[in-house]
Amino acid sequence: MIRRALVFAATLLALAFLALPIVAIFARLSWGQLATQLSSSLVTDALVVSLKTSAIAQALVLVLGTPAAFVLASHRFRGRSLVVTLVELPIVMPPAVAGIGLLAAFGRFGLLHTGIPFTQTAVVLAVAFVSGPLYVRQAIAAFEAVDETLVAASRTLGAGPVKTFFRVVLPLARGGLGAGEALAFARGLGEFGATIMFAGSLQGVTQTLPLAVYQEFDVNFKLALTLGGLLVLISAALLLTLKWLGSSSTSAFRFAPSTSS
Amino acid sequence: MTGFAALLAKATVTVYAAASLTNVFPQIDPGAHYSFGGSNTLAAQIQLGAPADVFASANMTLPQQLFQKGLCTQPVVFTRNTLVLIVPKSNPAAIHSVYDLQKPGVKLDVAAVGVPVGSYTRQILKNMGLTSVLNNVVSNETDVREVLAKVALGEADAGFVYSTDAKTVPGQVTVLRMPAWAQPKVQYGICVVKSSPNAAAARAFVARVMSKAGQAKLLAAGFLPRVKPKTVG
Repeated sequence: MIRRALVFAATLLALAFLALPIVAIFARLSWGQLATQLSSSLVTDALVVSLKTSAIAQALVLVLGTPAAFVLASHRFRGRSLVVTLVELPIVMPPAVAGIGLLAAFGRFGLLHTGIPFTQTAVVLAVAFVSGPLYVRQAIAAFEAVDETLVAASRTLGAGPVKTFFRVVLPLARGGLGAGEALAFARGLGEFGATIMFAGSLQGVTQTLPLAVYQEFDVNFKLALTLGGLLVLISAALLLTLKWLGSSSTSAFRFAPSTSS
Repeated sequence: MTGFAALLAKATVTVYAAASLTNVFPQIDPGAHYSFGGSNTLAAQIQLGAPADVFASANMTLPQQLFQKGLCTQPVVFTRNTLVLIVPKSNPAAIHSVYDLQKPGVKLDVAAVGVPVGSYTRQILKNMGLTSVLNNVVSNETDVREVLAKVALGEADAGFVYSTDAKTVPGQVTVLRMPAWAQPKVQYGICVVKSSPNAAAARAFVARVMSKAGQAKLLAAGFLPRVKPKTVG
């Protein structure tokens, strides 16, 4: 009885701890000023920069990450685990290190001598660098989970590798790919450290929602809270999408063999 | 006495100080704990209950505000500074005077408006009738050392920092002095945080900064005497 009560108390404490900061943001929002705050140029500019850079970054992640994940999932070669580790490294790398690395690579005096720092392209690269690996990692797992006999059957029935990929592999892996992409999108939207170091912070150009929160922290705390609330809502929507994709993917796996027979 | 007990017995003073004091404060008191950053960020943290014993700001406005809210003692001026324009040693945008900042495409890095040096930057440009160069700003940084780092790296073409910051990266930047008549009044204020449990140690730290030895360290680092010398005649 006591043990059950303790477990219950621990659960309650954990949930309260996780929920409290989120509740506090909304509890301290100045609802009366919400409309004026949300329509201020600082907020709308940050929202546009965030959504635009995220959209481009995630398009790059999908277009380049999907073939990379498929190759890594379907081929066994020497040093494969090393390559996979390399792909996963940015996930655990502190964002500040990512920022230094991007500057060292793409800075004016970096390895590639580009003029990318301080531009919107820099934001896109920072977001793609920190969020892409989350998608690729999930995509590798999704491709590995595809039943090889179905792929073999498709090839036996005369479909080429490209047709098999688009008509068999991709539909089967869709749920996992979607979940990975939702996670990558959410992580990219929250990107802060690498962005502020590599891209700087300029309203309407490189100032994303998290950078705006940081800038307003000591200028207008109420506005920072509103921006925080906005980010929480967007992240929550993404997580719900992820959950929904997760549940629909299991059903896709379950029904796939019977529909193809 | 070992470990934890020793730590408790020796009350280490926690100093929240402007980023421009990063190099000089540890020379004045190597034993204190420091949190360096934009003075505005530090002031906001103190208002939200951060465990600071001393607040040293790159202006008088922020500590005055804390004083008026009853959060710290009446601030005193402990040093002064001047603003300079810095360019990377390689000078990629060929900037030889502040007027060259008007050239289109110059990547000018400044601190955000709320940061003391960001506000001084806008003042000096206003005094010189050069506010239009703000159109060339590529980033609003969170403290002066961020501006310094981005110019020293060569990523930004130019930036406004304190003359003392430029001295910390010799060989990496070229300093372009700004005219004395356009200089804003850059006074550094220091105060003891009211909620400090180490008030005695905090007052001792302030005394150390104000002492002859402390002032000598500041002067050696390029800061100006806390009281402007009277001009003779």
